[in-house]
Amino acid sequence: MDARADQSTTDLGPLEEFPEGAFRVMRVGKREIGVYRSSSGEVFAIANFCPHRGAPLCKGPVGGTLIPSEPGELVYGMDGDVVRCPWHGYEFSLHTGECLFTGQRMRAKTYPVSVEDGRVRVSGIKSGEKK
Amino acid sequence: MTVMDKPKRANGPKDPLAGDIIDCDIHSVLPGGLKTVFPYLDRATRQRLETKGVGVGHSALSPRLAVPNGGHAIRPDARTPDGGPGGSDPDYIVEDLIEPHGIRAAVCTCIQAGALATVLAGPDESVALCRAFNDYHLEEWKLKDAGAIRYAAVVPVQIPEEAAKEIERIGDEPGVAAIFMPLLNIPMGNRHYHPIYAAAQEKGLPILLHVTGTENVYHGSPVIAGGWPESYAERYCSLSQVGEANLISLVFSGVLERFPELKVLFVEFGCSWVLPTMWRMDKAWRGVRFDVPWVKRSPIDYVNEHVKLSTQPLDEPADPAQLKSLVELIGDHLLCFATDYPHWDNDMPGQSLRMLSDDSRRRIFVENAQGILRL
Ligand code: FES
Repeated sequence: MDARADQSTTDLGPLEEFPEGAFRVMRVGKREIGVYRSSSGEVFAIANFCPHRGAPLCKGPVGGTLIPSEPGELVYGMDGDVVRCPWHGYEFSLHTGECLFTGQRMRAKTYPVSVEDGRVRVSGIKSGEKK
Repeated sequence: MTVMDKPKRANGPKDPLAGDIIDCDIHSVLPGGLKTVFPYLDRATRQRLETKGVGVGHSALSPRLAVPNGGHAIRPDARTPDGGPGGSDPDYIVEDLIEPHGIRAAVCTCIQAGALATVLAGPDESVALCRAFNDYHLEEWKLKDAGAIRYAAVVPVQIPEEAAKEIERIGDEPGVAAIFMPLLNIPMGNRHYHPIYAAAQEKGLPILLHVTGTENVYHGSPVIAGGWPESYAERYCSLSQVGEANLISLVFSGVLERFPELKVLFVEFGCSWVLPTMWRMDKAWRGVRFDVPWVKRSPIDYVNEHVKLSTQPLDEPADPAQLKSLVELIGDHLLCFATDYPHWDNDMPGQSLRMLSDDSRRRIFVENAQGILRL
C-alpha cells in the first residue's frame, strides 16, 4: 500500500458490526457510502448516489442478475455482485461500479475495502473532500 | 475524519423553482388494500366483500406482467420509517418528497381505487368502494383542506350516473383538485362518460386520467394495440397507446364541443407521442372533416384549449438537446410536471428538464398545472 492510499484509509469499525447481506450506510468525511458484506465474506463500499439521477443507490436490493442471453434463454449470474437502483432499476457492479449491460458509460463510485485484524477499512476518501 | 451511521437523504439537487412546484402525480398506497376502507363502507357492501374474502394489495399484475421489483412499482427506498411501503403515510410523503424537493402541492391519485373502480370490483361494489376510498382519503389523510397534498377523487366509471353523484357529493371539498376517471375499454369520446363530464364541468374540476395497472390484463380495461404483451417491459412501453387513442377519441367525438369548459389532464402516459398525434389529427381533419363535422376547428386547437399532459415518464434521448427540441415542438404550454412518487420510474424536479429555459420550466413545473387543476 503506498503512502498516499494509506493516508486516506479510514477505519470503519469491527467486521461484526457489518451485518451480512445488507448495506450499512455511513458518512465518511463528506461522502455517503454503503458498505455491503456479502455472505461469502467479501466487503464492498459504494457511493450511496446513483450516477443516473441521484437516487440513494444503497437502498436498492443486492443480488445477481439475468445476464444478456439468447432469445428465450435465461442465464442467471453475478450472484451477489449487483446492486439495483431503487429508482429506475439500473444495475451496477459492486466490484467496479460499472453500469451493467446497457451501454451507459456511467459508473457508481466504488472504494477499496480491506479487512485487517477484524476491522473494516475503506480507502480513497479524503476527510476534506467535497461532494 | 468523521464516520457516522446517520445518512442524509440522498435525493439529488434542489430545484431552482423550489417552493413553487406543482407535482401532478403522487400515489397513496394502502397496505391493507380494500380492507383499509372497510370502516367507510356500508354494512351490506362490507359484508359482501368480507364474505368473498377479497383484498387488493399493491398491484393487479400477474407474474407475466409484474414489475421486476418485487412485483410492484413502489420504490424500495421510499419505505416509511415504520416499515410501510412508500406512499402509505402522508406525513412521510411530505418529509421524503414534498419538502426536500420544494413542491408546493402534489396531487394524489390512488391507483388501487382506480383499479377497483374500473374492473376489479363489480359495478355496484365499485360505487360503494369509490365513496369509501374518497372518504378514507379526505378523513384519514386529511385531504379535505387545500394543503401540501391535494386529492384526485376517484369515480365509479362503470355507472356514470353514480360517478356524477360522487362528483356532486365531494366536488366542493377544497382539497379536491381533480376527478380521477379510471378508463374502461370504452374510449373517452363515447357517450357513456357524458354524465361524468357534465358533473366535472359543473364543479370546475378537470378530469385526470391515469393508468390503473389493469390495462391489457383484465377484460373491461383498455386494451393495447397489437396483442397481448409478454413482459412488463413490453406492456410498459405500450401504455402510451391508451393515452393516444383516448386523446384522438376525445377530439373527434365532439365531447369538447358538448362540454366547452371541460379540461383533461393525461397523467403518466408520457408526452413525446402527442406531437405526431396532433399533426396526424390536424392533417386527417382537413381531409375528412365531413366524417366528424362537429369538429369545427383544428384538432390542435382543441388540444391546446382543453388538454394537458404530464411529463412523466420523460423520455431520455442520449442527447438532451433532442428532448429540448421536442418540448419546443410540442409547446411548453401543454406539459405539466409530475414525479409519480413513490413509483420506480419517477422523475424528480431537480434532475428533470434542466436544459430548458427558466421561463419554460416555470410554465411546466408551476403555471400550467395551476391553469388546469383546481388548486
Ligand atoms: S437514479 Fe438510479 S437508475 Fe435512475
